[in-house]
Amino acid sequence: MESLATASDLLNQCSKCGGCQAVCPLYGETQAEPYVARGKIFLIKNYLEGTIELSPKMKEIMSLCLLCKACVDNCPNKVPVDQLVLAARREIAKELGISFVRKNVFQHLLQNNGRLSLAARMGYLYQHSGIQSVVRKSGLLELISPDLAKKEGLLPRVARRSFRSQAPKLITCSRPKIRVAYYTGCLTNYVYHGTGLAVLDVLGRNGAEVVIPEQWCCGIPALASGDEASAVALAHRNIEAFQKAGVDAIVTDCASCGSMLHDYADLIGTREARIFADKVLDFSQLLDDAIDFQPGAREVPVVATYHDPCHLRRGQGVHTAPRKLIRAVPGVELTEMNEADRCCGAAGSFNLTYYDLSTRIGKRKVENIRKTGAGLVVTGCPSCIMQLDHVLKLEQSPVQVMHLAELLSMTYEKGEV
Amino acid sequence: MIPPSVIEEITRVVGKDNIFVSLEERMCYGYDGTPYAFVPDLVARPASTEEIQAIVRLANTHLFPIIPRGAGTGLSGGSLPVKNGMVLDLNRMNRILEIDEENLVAVVEPGVVTYALQQEVERRGLFYPPDPASLKTSTIGGNVAECAGGPRAFKYGVTRDYVLGLEVVTPQGDLVKTGGKTIKSVTGYDLTRLYTGSEGTLGVITRIYLRLIPKPQAIKTMMAVFPQLDDATRTVTLIVRRGIIPVTLELMDDRTIQCVENYRHLGLPLDAGAVLIIEVDGTPELIEAQSGQIVDLCREGGAREVRVAASEQEREDIWAARRAVSAAVVQIKPTKISEDISVPRSQIPNMARKLREIAERYGLSLVIFGHAGDGNLHPNILCDQRDREEMERVEKAVGELFQAAVELGGTLSGEHGIGTMKAPYLKLETGEAGYAVMLALKQALDPNNIFNPGKIFRGE
Repeated sequence: MESLATASDLLNQCSKCGGCQAVCPLYGETQAEPYVARGKIFLIKNYLEGTIELSPKMKEIMSLCLLCKACVDNCPNKVPVDQLVLAARREIAKELGISFVRKNVFQHLLQNNGRLSLAARMGYLYQHSGIQSVVRKSGLLELISPDLAKKEGLLPRVARRSFRSQAPKLITCSRPKIRVAYYTGCLTNYVYHGTGLAVLDVLGRNGAEVVIPEQWCCGIPALASGDEASAVALAHRNIEAFQKAGVDAIVTDCASCGSMLHDYADLIGTREARIFADKVLDFSQLLDDAIDFQPGAREVPVVATYHDPCHLRRGQGVHTAPRKLIRAVPGVELTEMNEADRCCGAAGSFNLTYYDLSTRIGKRKVENIRKTGAGLVVTGCPSCIMQLDHVLKLEQSPVQVMHLAELLSMTYEKGEV
Repeated sequence: MIPPSVIEEITRVVGKDNIFVSLEERMCYGYDGTPYAFVPDLVARPASTEEIQAIVRLANTHLFPIIPRGAGTGLSGGSLPVKNGMVLDLNRMNRILEIDEENLVAVVEPGVVTYALQQEVERRGLFYPPDPASLKTSTIGGNVAECAGGPRAFKYGVTRDYVLGLEVVTPQGDLVKTGGKTIKSVTGYDLTRLYTGSEGTLGVITRIYLRLIPKPQAIKTMMAVFPQLDDATRTVTLIVRRGIIPVTLELMDDRTIQCVENYRHLGLPLDAGAVLIIEVDGTPELIEAQSGQIVDLCREGGAREVRVAASEQEREDIWAARRAVSAAVVQIKPTKISEDISVPRSQIPNMARKLREIAERYGLSLVIFGHAGDGNLHPNILCDQRDREEMERVEKAVGELFQAAVELGGTLSGEHGIGTMKAPYLKLETGEAGYAVMLALKQALDPNNIFNPGKIFRGE
């Protein structure tokens, strides 16, 4: 996205019809105009016209966006609201700066895999050494802020070692149909090892040779906070690393990462960036389009429903492939929920910054899941999985959440190749 | 300006989470679906009738304007805070209180979204027909305050035809109850109808009793293409004379068709003079028979092509053309001045000719679409708000357009309301005496002029 100053024509395309109210998850919970696309567009326009400044209130309002693109999809004039909000955040970050913690995470931690792994390891130690239980019992977090205690509960169990440090660098099979590079994403790397193992399992059994190159955060957390420079630096590192891998496709199990990797084309704008972006495929796309997926024989007798991650459905236009793959699993009955493509409220770190609002959005999703009577929710984004898992537990629901790769992997008997 | 001590009192009434004081937040309540914007001094978001009464009493004592607001999708400036004051955002009052299936009545709060109510009643086999284009976001309260219409109006009428009763907080803070669950009611003046369409100038509507009807079993959709606009309007008359009242008779003129086709590529004929989208509903047998008759009548009226939707998908395809209009026309120029004059059906061809002649004289881009069944046309002038000189020409053209509508026996506004945008022209239609009656009512009921000042009446 070009700078905000050149966005005037895009802003003028908003006719202020208010249609975005019908689909905005934040408006759905708050019914408050500053949080809906129309309000934000109006404010950005006024900032450019010099009527208002980039105040802390402006920063707060711009941060209250899930970037779920539901408004863009629904807009008669297709105003790229998410891009405009990102541009505003970038401008605000320049003017007001970003928080000390965020700056350090984006500019130091995420750019250095050694430090990131160390941080994850500290998280693991916190959860396993007994410190966590001492802190929880002490009520220390509630004392600081009741919100902090809830957020701490949102954190998933961090794995002892990163996935990439344990997985082989090359997983080969006899007569491979395709050679792909696996972009694992941070959540799979540090938290959801089961997803990573399932991806490797399913790809291997379906004739894909998989390499796992050295890689970095996709940059979306930095970009979403207005730190474009950090995002660009990460993009350059990833493009270079994957270029060396010499693969036909780059596959990812994370909708948000996948969407961001596609956006490298515009963000960086070079020929290399375009070639890289063109190779990126979601896990489900790869199985459905590029290789002919064959499930195993083991039945998974369950009624399942599918949640469309925003960054898969609207970010990458992927919604039929995952459903096709779920239907291919023997024993599974797929039932659609209402508003399957409405945001679950995770939205990166939105669920940490605005815990209560995020949880309310999540509860609407859980209610839609409950109404289907399904025992399993399948989705294609670890960030959604973290949120859905948390809110389902809050609501004391017995429904399980699983990545598509894990469901597909369950169809294979152990040892069967 | 509202004194800080009063803002404190209002905050005590609604709670600090339900008030907006920052400039940025207030600005977001200063616009609607028109190209204009103002900034209110305060935004309050009450959750009950009692809270509203308390706030209104404060306004009436300290004399600051109150502007009731629903979804802010209006097209006449009805919810714009033109004299600043306090915007009363009614979206938190969004409960469907009762759906009385025995008496076919729904009781709702004003912030209920129209579409949400329709879905809820249709689940029970019932029907609330008014369907303004903004129904997925607009609220029942706003629909009642503006007396919203929609494509189905020809057969089913407009919002006022479904309002059986209201509860209204008066400018003095009292609660008036009008009508109720009965179909018949002739107790004194018809206050329900007075408040319906009063555009927030007489009080705040806090509860609404709506008439429901059984949901039609089936629907059939057709699209007919005509070489000339006159052929299309003549066909409408043929259909009505045959005793068929379609649910919708949506008309698009040649320029609208061209815009839509260039924008969406739906396969519309670029050389057509007009397109009619016709829908009939009822029992499957009835709509089968009626759609057959309509196809014949369209041919008789000169249609060169008639398409009957055979599936839900084909129905969607036909409506896609109509739904694309708003987005398609702003490709010409970014600012859309959308009018909603209504004329007797037989005058549609004359009105269309007159509209084009006016647009041409002022060098403006104009498209015409609308509801051919009830004569409610939407001439849309496409312009650029940033071009002062052009906007002056637009203003002059709009004045002439209203004059022409009234001369043909029509009205300034079929369904958007007068608001600020048509206030300068109101007397064209009401005359001095009619205007005086309206003004007398306003002054009697709201002597301090605190409710939505600057609307309907110019300068009073």
